[in-house]
Amino acid sequence: MNINGGLSGIESLRQQKIVNSKSKIVSSKSKIVKDKSAGVTILFFALLITAFLLLAVRCFYLQFLKSSHYTALCTKQQQSYHFQKPQRGVILDCRGRVLAASNKSQTIFAEPRIIKRPEITSKQLASIVDISAGQIDKLIRESENPGFVKIKAGADSNQCDAAGKIYGIGVESCWQRYYPVGSLASHILGFSGIDNTGLCGIELQYDKELKGSAGQNIFLADVHRRPICLKQSNICTDGVGLILTIDAAVQQFVRAELSRQCEEFGAESAVAIVAEPRTGAILAMVSLPDFDPADIGRTNPNNLRNRAISDQFEPGSILKPVVAAIALDTGVLGQNEKIFCERGHYSGKGFGHIGEYGGHEFGDLTIREILTVSSNIGMAKIGRRIGKKQLYKGLSLFGFGRQTGIDLPGEAEGLLRPADSWTGYSRTRIPFGQEISVTTIQLIRAFCVLANGGSPVQPFLVSAMVDNEGRIIKLKRPSPAVGFVIKPQVARWIVTEALVDVVNEGTGQKAALEKWQVFGKTGTAQLALSDRKGYSDRDYIASFIAGAPAEAPAVVVLVSIYKPDISLGKGYTGGTVAAPVAARILEKTLNYLEKH
Amino acid sequence: MKSLFCFVFVVFCFTAVLIFTVYLRGANNHIFYMLCTCTAEQSRLKQQLGSKQLRLEGLINPVAVSQRLDEH
Repeated sequence: MNINGGLSGIESLRQQKIVNSKSKIVSSKSKIVKDKSAGVTILFFALLITAFLLLAVRCFYLQFLKSSHYTALCTKQQQSYHFQKPQRGVILDCRGRVLAASNKSQTIFAEPRIIKRPEITSKQLASIVDISAGQIDKLIRESENPGFVKIKAGADSNQCDAAGKIYGIGVESCWQRYYPVGSLASHILGFSGIDNTGLCGIELQYDKELKGSAGQNIFLADVHRRPICLKQSNICTDGVGLILTIDAAVQQFVRAELSRQCEEFGAESAVAIVAEPRTGAILAMVSLPDFDPADIGRTNPNNLRNRAISDQFEPGSILKPVVAAIALDTGVLGQNEKIFCERGHYSGKGFGHIGEYGGHEFGDLTIREILTVSSNIGMAKIGRRIGKKQLYKGLSLFGFGRQTGIDLPGEAEGLLRPADSWTGYSRTRIPFGQEISVTTIQLIRAFCVLANGGSPVQPFLVSAMVDNEGRIIKLKRPSPAVGFVIKPQVARWIVTEALVDVVNEGTGQKAALEKWQVFGKTGTAQLALSDRKGYSDRDYIASFIAGAPAEAPAVVVLVSIYKPDISLGKGYTGGTVAAPVAARILEKTLNYLEKH
Repeated sequence: MKSLFCFVFVVFCFTAVLIFTVYLRGANNHIFYMLCTCTAEQSRLKQQLGSKQLRLEGLINPVAVSQRLDEH
């Protein structure tokens, strides 16, 4: 064996051992390192998992538990709302004149709670709105509402643009109702409140149609709150417009004439109606005293009442033609038959004493003469002949004792007691207009029936509904009447013969016109005493109903003047007080209708 | 080299489409805002016209005409 070779072998073995021991050290070291990094990894992942778990919990909290809260917050931030109040419908007369309309009015207001220095804001605003700075300053400082104080209503667009730029000042726009004709048709139109709701007249009757429906648009807004996309929209629908049968020009004639007569005779109130007998359309309806619909606050509440439809009274002699028509229609009396009028004194068992107005002493009179001279005794005798059941039925058919159904709120029914409860007095008093209460609109309807050849007539005020572009969307005219209340020949005879005589020779001579043949009937009703039985000898209702031309009546006019002042000595009867007004109204209306 | 070009072209087109989409969205929002502004302006002008019409009605209605006739 070679020694060198042995040594080298030992050396190599030693080196081998060293290498082995070194590699063992390295492997043990790397084992330690591996163990450490595994721990870190585990820790890292554990933390990561914990973090994700926490995140998941947070997400769960936000997404499920607080979802509605954050959705609301988010929606509030992203969305902007725009409310739209509808424009109330316009009301026009039959020729398209505006009687009532809504328009937006701008109001400049201040928000006192955010204005730090009112004196500076007031100075800035004063030059814009033409109100002194001191006044504005006082308004802001003394306002009880910290969120709103009105500075100027009805501001123009330039003022609004300039005022809106001042901090603490805002502009609000709201609908305002305008009545360009003022009090001309106040009782017909009525008025509406600040909340766009009709409170009286046509405004109340057709409130649902005039009002429209409010709308709301929801927009997505950008960072500057500018709308960028429509998210939801409830369309705002403006109210529909109404076309009335009223003619503002005729209404003006009527109101002017009635006011003048009221003033001249010192009357308490007055009513006048002009109607078209063929259709029942009301061309004018005036009730005095009236009111300004734009200034309701200062109006006497008593003046708000439309006396033409709500006041009922004993009509007096004006009812006689209706009863005469019933008598002729039922055949209890002939046109040329004479009735003895008892020389002014008629009394009997069960109906007391009846006299003639003015102490007249009439003898034998035909029905035509009874109407011409307005004999109470003649009418009482006719009433007895008709009988209570026929008379009740006839008056009911003429529409007494029930509403006419005119499109206005607050209409009274009048009073026509059932025939069963009538006494001997009723049968003799109702024929000359006592023991029965009627409204002016009922009377005009009854005479429209006579002037319309006995066909029923339905009075109405609204002829059509129109949209915002003026297109007719619904016609409101009542359907043509079927049948007759009385025979056409009877109605025709009453109008063209008996009532023409009243104007030509009888009590209504002051209503005669040169150009047209007028028919009419006077009525002077005594007012019942309120504290005891009987009638006042100082308080009267002077009425006159007229129509023309008698052959083909175009209009029927009723004028009723309440309590003319007797002490003036100018008269108080229908023929003196009401007939001249009716004649002037007829003349002007017929001339106007002829030219237009 | 060709596939790289294709890749760049696709990325470019995709980006362009995205940018165009964003532009269209912005333009749509702007146009809508303009529409709202114009509608409000139209409404304002309509109100102004209504107010003038009412003023005119106040001058030519039968009551005003009668009053003027009575004055002269």
